Amino acid sequence: MKTSKRKLVLLFSIVVTGYLFIMIFPFLWIFITSFKSSGEIFGAGAFRFIPEEPTWKNYTTILFEKEIWKAIMNSFIVALSTTIYVIFVASLCAYAISRFHFKGKSILLGLILAVSMFPQMIITGPVYNLFYDLGWLNSYFVILPYSTITLPMGVWILVTHFNKIPLALEESATIDGATRIQTLTKIIIPLAAPGVFTTAIITFIAAWNEFLLTITLNTEPNYHTVPVAISFLRDQFSILWGEVAAATAIVTIPTLIIVLLFQRQIVSGLTSGGVKE
Amino acid sequence: MKHKLGVSGWCYLLPTLILIAVFSLWPVIQSITYTFFDYKLNDPQKSGLYLNERFNVDLFHETAIYIELFLTEDMQNITENDDKTKANTILNQIKDAAKPYVNQKGVIKITKEERSNITDLYQNTKLLLAELSTKYTLTHQDSLPLLVEDFNRSIIPSNFIGLQAYQKAFGDKYIHTALWNTILFTVVSVAIELVLGLGLALILNKAMLGQGLIRTTSLIPWAIPTAVAALMWSYLYDGSSGIIAHFFENLGLISQSQDLLLSQGGAMVSTILADVWKTTPYMALLLLAGLQNIPKSLYEAASIDGASKVKGFFTITLPLLKSSILVALLFRTLDAFRVFDLIFVLTGGGPGGATETMSIYAYKTMFGQTNFGYGSVVVMIMFLCVAIISIIFVRLLGTNLLDRD
Repeated sequence: MKTSKRKLVLLFSIVVTGYLFIMIFPFLWIFITSFKSSGEIFGAGAFRFIPEEPTWKNYTTILFEKEIWKAIMNSFIVALSTTIYVIFVASLCAYAISRFHFKGKSILLGLILAVSMFPQMIITGPVYNLFYDLGWLNSYFVILPYSTITLPMGVWILVTHFNKIPLALEESATIDGATRIQTLTKIIIPLAAPGVFTTAIITFIAAWNEFLLTITLNTEPNYHTVPVAISFLRDQFSILWGEVAAATAIVTIPTLIIVLLFQRQIVSGLTSGGVKE
Repeated sequence: MKHKLGVSGWCYLLPTLILIAVFSLWPVIQSITYTFFDYKLNDPQKSGLYLNERFNVDLFHETAIYIELFLTEDMQNITENDDKTKANTILNQIKDAAKPYVNQKGVIKITKEERSNITDLYQNTKLLLAELSTKYTLTHQDSLPLLVEDFNRSIIPSNFIGLQAYQKAFGDKYIHTALWNTILFTVVSVAIELVLGLGLALILNKAMLGQGLIRTTSLIPWAIPTAVAALMWSYLYDGSSGIIAHFFENLGLISQSQDLLLSQGGAMVSTILADVWKTTPYMALLLLAGLQNIPKSLYEAASIDGASKVKGFFTITLPLLKSSILVALLFRTLDAFRVFDLIFVLTGGGPGGATETMSIYAYKTMFGQTNFGYGSVVVMIMFLCVAIISIIFVRLLGTNLLDRD
């Protein structure tokens, strides 16, 4: 009995170690490559684990010549503003769904669910034409159609969290003369703060990672976000793997920080209400 | 007790409704409309949705100005008085025809009468020029007949084509390939992710040590942008410097490292592997949450009754995990079916269309060839498939998905 249990523990450790290695290896290898000179990447040293002559050149090129920081800044602007307005709009909607009876509630929920299942490609053509007519191509207005991806998910997660808050608290508040908007801002949101925060993190990541809308609506490099800017690195310099590696290492840092700080919220957001992303 | 929302309460829903209406519903209706038209942005005759004939005023004015200018210059070459009168009559006709549209711009609707006036003008001018060019040598002999054709071109025929584009799509072998590639990619990658994800979730559920580390490590591939992951993998798969390609070659899986991204089968396998790497952890986390909801007492009771671990898995774990598995499968299947970023960056749909999925084909048609009409047909086929997939999964799940009370 005891030996079989020990064997099982050993098996588990091997599988877990193997899994961790597979998950981490690509990042590790990119990190190693980012310090190699292009001579080493293409020469005999291509598969060497420790760079023979480590260099910062890839990083300086990508930061100062290719200006990757511009894309990082754009991503921050776009993801942060999307998060702010989506949380605002989704909170109002989720409050109504969670707290009140109204006609067409199930239609609304069905609609929200259906929108989250749309292929995004279906909106790009008409939205492109709309933005062309309004003169909004190559601008930060791209955050508005981002709502197609983030809003349904936001409403869905928030409803799950609002439903957990007991109705009794609001009832006593209403008796004390609180208006609906006061109940929402003074009672529900503070109590559901962890849930709201979770929704914000998930929305932020989804907006940060968005690709299709930015590449179609914002063709000017000045408005490229990280995913789009990164994809163009390959087109122009498909050979310069050192720079690609440095760029990948740099743009992974913000994501890494978010994951390290907020992993609990992310996991709870992913699993609450069974909503993707 | 829940209260009624009331009229003023609808203000809470309004922002969401507006955003969904403007950026989700309206575009879908527009896309459906596009499919009935031969709608190409780069062709001036087809760059709008024209149910009836239209009149391109800009082109007409421009043509009128040039013809007047050239014909007036050529007056010196016309010697016979009779012909001079004819030419002047035409010049006046052109001026008269242009008058009603002086303040108009762009593309406008016209009546049948107006249309026949313009056609008449076109034919009269053409006849006159043919007559003149037989008698005289004109300075603008070559350019004038070409210019006159623009009168005709300023009448834009309707580009409404009904269901023809759908008919074309049925026989389009690119769509067949794209649909097959999409289905292959979706089924294979989601199947692998489910098996690996479930295995991983079972292990994580038992693991005593390092759960936090595993969770952090699992979240990173999910959290980084797909485009970044794709670029990273394109380096690992690269024929000359890619360590994974080198590793596969040494294992004997491929005969030379270039084959991984440059052969048709290799490219599909690479794409699937990259997707499995990125999303298996996500699948595992979803299933792990489901596993943790299963009460431990059920397993204890089963083991007292003498049931084996394997039996416990099939009689307790799987049935109770059913809805978690279905939800995870639904989201993963839809994501895989809509796959765009990963393939766009990793292979661009190549080599030779071997990894071209529906999204990639739609994108290339719409934004590469600016053929919004046919591109929308491709998107509608995708939309239909996604709808079918969703309906099947929602049916399997039962109705509890919409129960949010």
